[in-house]
Amino acid sequence: MTSIPLAYLKNRLITLVLTILIAATLIWIIPRLSPVDPAEIALGRMAAGAGSVANSEEILAQLRASMGIDAPLIVQYARYIGNVLVFDFGISTASFPTPVSALIAQALPWTLGLMILSLIITFIIGNALGAFMAWDRTPKLARVAIPAAMVFTSIPPILSGLLLMWIFAAQLRWFPLTGSYGLNVEPGWDWSFVASVISHGTLPALSIVIVTFGFWALGMRGLMISVQGEDYVKLAEAKGLKPRYILYKYMIRNAILPQITAFALKVGLLIAGQVLVERIFAYNGMGKLLYDAILNQDFPVIQGVSYVIILMTALSVFIVDLLYPLIDPRIRREA
Amino acid sequence: MTVLDIQNLSIDFPTAGGVVHAVTDLSLQIEKGRRIGFIGESGSGKTTTALAVMQMLAAPGRVAGGQIILGGTDMLALSEEEMRLSRLSKVSYIPQGAMNSLNPIMRIEDQLWDGIIAHEPTTTKADLKRRSDEALASVGLLPHTARLYPHELSGGMKQRVCIAMGVTLSPDLIIADEPTSALDVVTQRHVMQTLKDVQAKIGAALILIGHDMGLMAQSVDELAVLKDGELVEHGDVRQILEAPKHPYTKDLISSVPLVGGESFLDPAPAEPPKGRGKPGVPLLAFEDVSKVYGNVTALHPMSFALDGEVPKIVSIVGQSGSGKSTMGSLMLGFNAPSTGRVLFEGQDVATMDQAASLDFRKNVQAVFQDPYACFNPFYRVDHALKFPFKRFGYATSETQTQQAMEDACVAVGLDPALILRRYPHQLSGGQRQRLIVARALMLQPKLLIADEPVSMVDASLRSTILKNIHDLKDRHGISILYITHDLATAYHVSDYVIVLYQGHVAEAGPPKQVIGEPQHEYTRLLIDSIPWPDIDRGWGTPTTEEEDAARLARLAEDRQTVMRGDIPGFTLS
Repeated sequence: MTSIPLAYLKNRLITLVLTILIAATLIWIIPRLSPVDPAEIALGRMAAGAGSVANSEEILAQLRASMGIDAPLIVQYARYIGNVLVFDFGISTASFPTPVSALIAQALPWTLGLMILSLIITFIIGNALGAFMAWDRTPKLARVAIPAAMVFTSIPPILSGLLLMWIFAAQLRWFPLTGSYGLNVEPGWDWSFVASVISHGTLPALSIVIVTFGFWALGMRGLMISVQGEDYVKLAEAKGLKPRYILYKYMIRNAILPQITAFALKVGLLIAGQVLVERIFAYNGMGKLLYDAILNQDFPVIQGVSYVIILMTALSVFIVDLLYPLIDPRIRREA
Repeated sequence: MTVLDIQNLSIDFPTAGGVVHAVTDLSLQIEKGRRIGFIGESGSGKTTTALAVMQMLAAPGRVAGGQIILGGTDMLALSEEEMRLSRLSKVSYIPQGAMNSLNPIMRIEDQLWDGIIAHEPTTTKADLKRRSDEALASVGLLPHTARLYPHELSGGMKQRVCIAMGVTLSPDLIIADEPTSALDVVTQRHVMQTLKDVQAKIGAALILIGHDMGLMAQSVDELAVLKDGELVEHGDVRQILEAPKHPYTKDLISSVPLVGGESFLDPAPAEPPKGRGKPGVPLLAFEDVSKVYGNVTALHPMSFALDGEVPKIVSIVGQSGSGKSTMGSLMLGFNAPSTGRVLFEGQDVATMDQAASLDFRKNVQAVFQDPYACFNPFYRVDHALKFPFKRFGYATSETQTQQAMEDACVAVGLDPALILRRYPHQLSGGQRQRLIVARALMLQPKLLIADEPVSMVDASLRSTILKNIHDLKDRHGISILYITHDLATAYHVSDYVIVLYQGHVAEAGPPKQVIGEPQHEYTRLLIDSIPWPDIDRGWGTPTTEEEDAARLARLAEDRQTVMRGDIPGFTLS
């Protein structure tokens, strides 16, 4: 009964595949528009290390061949698409000869853990506050206090990060200053490691939460206000329903729907958006990987990270699309 | 026994610009089992008075004085929780449910149950199921409706669900706020009958809020006429209809256009203006035009030619879904036909070049249903008038533009000094719609397409706006296509009427024949369903919903067109 119609599923699957394909193509084209030659950068790096390089022309040609940028563009493209499908993004030029996929595999879990957790916390807090801001039965004091808390939203994440570090790490010493886990623990599924990860992750997560909950709160407030004006809310009151029940079942339940789509879009953007947070906390996630890759003009890594960001966005939108018919019955018929 | 006793009720709305007295010193009693109609224009206080009984005034409204006693209880003295418990169980509210009154993400039965549970928390699941099924059955809905979501129901079905909700706890008083104004005339008759039946069954008093004198005459026992927050007349409905005392009541009754009744239009000028079309070429023509959306055929192939040499008004009437608005959007070139061609002065609208397209837009203007959505809220209303005037090259100077705007306002009966330079939200719906007509006049088109131009404005203003539109033809020689569901106004303003049913022409010809003496069964059904403001006439031949559904199904299979004669300059084939 509450099943997803087949036509709808097919539709969304095609969208998913097309999105990924087009994005992968763009990622391939854009760096090729740049006048920078990665082989020359690699050579420059060698030269910087050794003072000078003999036979530089030959080495350059060899570097180009090993990077695969000597072949005709169409061959490069076909090879690239084939590789991307199996998550092979080549070899990092900055941390030569580590494969890009290995770098990503190392960084991704950290980011997923930290970012998704903080996104979920922000989503819940932000939407709850937004809903209470709009509700006409919220105590006056809370309705004044919530907008005041929005001040934090206007702080850039680096500043809020530094502030948190100063208060909780430097002054109070409740949490460690930087890193993703302590130097004194071995990675593994034991309590000391997990505890270390949690204590290292708290400040970065918190710095993301306090600067982003306002986005959700303000969005939710706007949605709640328009839902409040709907005839069905007025009728719910005329039916003598309890105010809290109306708030949850009639107002929040309807107002939250567009926020869920926004949530899916945010998943991918998070990695890109939180580059600086990972950087200042020296947190070994995708953001830091991307930041370092940009500094080093490490094209394979930039490509790989961009691809993963797009893949995550497309997948999360796809998943939300699949969930949507279950939370909004109107979609079932539209399909 | 008196169910509701309102004594000297006053309701104020404190606003930044001072206190608005929405209701002043209103006293009224309603007896058990009686139906009373609250009639008046928007802003007359009819809904505000009714909502005060439930303490559901929109902010910042408040009761400034008086008493409301419902079944012996002083409603204004109740605590918030006591008031909540009285809603639905003592007084229930039936909104205009066809639109958006049901929670889109909850099943119908859940929305019936939550009302019961809020008052009787210990009700068992089986009991809830039994009661919701009974309630749905009492309003003529099948049991499977309970498991559906609102978007799966038609407008009439949603309205029935709202009625079912209103009677689940057998209240003493039911307030029905324009329950049928969004329904078409055929459905309206059945829904109104259902409401009367369930109300009589539970013996509740009923307040019916509305603005349609005909609907009131056929539905209520007593009538309360409100104007500017005051009760100007209250009494037996027959006495008020036959011998109204207050001049405002007389106005309300006489402003209702009736089929076969007196015309509300000004007499035609002795010398009719020349039309604006080119001689020899039809102004607008359909050549086998049809429109298909997915697997629904909205309009079956249709051909007509309208010449512009003698200005005329052609009405297109039918229920919602009959294809009349589809015709309008095809004529305006907003939609491309699935087959056939739409021609404007011999040129295909779909393949026009830019210059021809600009000329087409200049010469074909439109008036739409919603006078709120037609203005950009960001600009003063002048912008809506001035911008196309300049764009189409009519403007020679600022003073001339200003003069043209003022003349157009005067022509539709608006005072330019009060209207121009204001923002859309500062004007009433009627004023806005007349401004749109004024704009059409300023742009001097050859053809005007008016899609339900008066269905969202107050009854008393309808005839004025239609008079303005009619003047475009009579004084300015503009031909008009008038799309409407209201047969009475079509009867008066048009020279030719096309009745559409499911995208087919059912009957067509001059209005005196088609609407005055209908021959096609569908036209007859539409006319039967009109509520007349005449109690003795009754509400058509009594039919059940099943009979009408069967009638419509028969018509859908046996498609015939009854042609009732021609007028010069318009051919339909």
